Amino acid sequence: MKNRERKRYLVFEVISEREIDKRELLKEIWRSVYSLYGDVGASESKIWLIGYDKKKDGDTGIDVSEGMGILRCAAYKVEEVRAALACIYSVNEARVGIRVVGISGTIKGATRLTALRKSKS
Amino acid sequence: MLNFFDLNVHAYPETDMSVEDMLRVAKRYGYAGIAITNNDDISNGNKVSNSIFRGVEIRTNSVSELKRKIKLYYGKVSVLAVHGGSEKINKAALKDFRVDILAHPCGEKGEGELSHVMVRYAAENGVAIDFNLNAIIRSKRSDRARILRKMREIFKIARKYKAMPIITSNAHSVYDLIAPREMIALASLFGMQKEEAVHALSDIPEGILEKRWKKEREVEVI
Repeated sequence: MKNRERKRYLVFEVISEREIDKRELLKEIWRSVYSLYGDVGASESKIWLIGYDKKKDGDTGIDVSEGMGILRCAAYKVEEVRAALACIYSVNEARVGIRVVGISGTIKGATRLTALRKSKS
Repeated sequence: MLNFFDLNVHAYPETDMSVEDMLRVAKRYGYAGIAITNNDDISNGNKVSNSIFRGVEIRTNSVSELKRKIKLYYGKVSVLAVHGGSEKINKAALKDFRVDILAHPCGEKGEGELSHVMVRYAAENGVAIDFNLNAIIRSKRSDRARILRKMREIFKIARKYKAMPIITSNAHSVYDLIAPREMIALASLFGMQKEEAVHALSDIPEGILEKRWKKEREVEVI
């Protein structure tokens, strides 16, 4: 375990004007990280999008489409990645808003968090 | 549990988002309340619930008009904000104790100027200095660098003179709202410590809504 760097799994929630697919979102996340921290910063943050799903029926109660995903990053870069996620303003000209709802040290914990959130709605 | 407030939110009729929708999303994000600060318009600040505060953002280019408008709105709103930008407006707003917030003092694009002297007025008069994070999000590359530089400078001065910084989203739609934790992460980009950012999101806005800062000042004067 010593040689492996510690990671964190961020569970995030997206509200958007229209439905967004995983590929567009990933592209936008990378763009945001690059523009905020540059190439070196982006390489250090070790971002990896584990999964992203559209939520079928949203629970905000207003007319927006919602999604939820898990993003992996280096443990010591969590706040930086959070800022980069908050900086995402639109995806292919569709307005979006992203927030992190939970952080876990394991992928299992992160999926459990996602399931919890989904069952709540 | 801390109460977080976002004191610079725009809604219908200025934008096409209703106050209720904004509040619903803000509540979900973990805010205790929001203040609707449309430009020169207080028609939509009626208390729909205890979490919505009536506010106004005065937007003008002349000092005499600013004075007139402050007189007009003072006492009628919970949050009296002035849209900053040019140096003379910033100065006039910070010198006036009736003003609660100087919104985006470095302008929406980072063109404004705020000097040591002016920040001292802010500290004396209990005017909060607003850092609108929306400017960081919307800008890119050199613009963003310039805005961050300005914010860093102003925040440093504000810390020195113990002026009150607050952070707001300046949201025009539900997608613009930023959750408190994200706000704190964004504020760290221009050198705000976590504790300072939490303070700027919870304690200071609460004090503004209760007019606590103004009272403290009055006591000092006597």
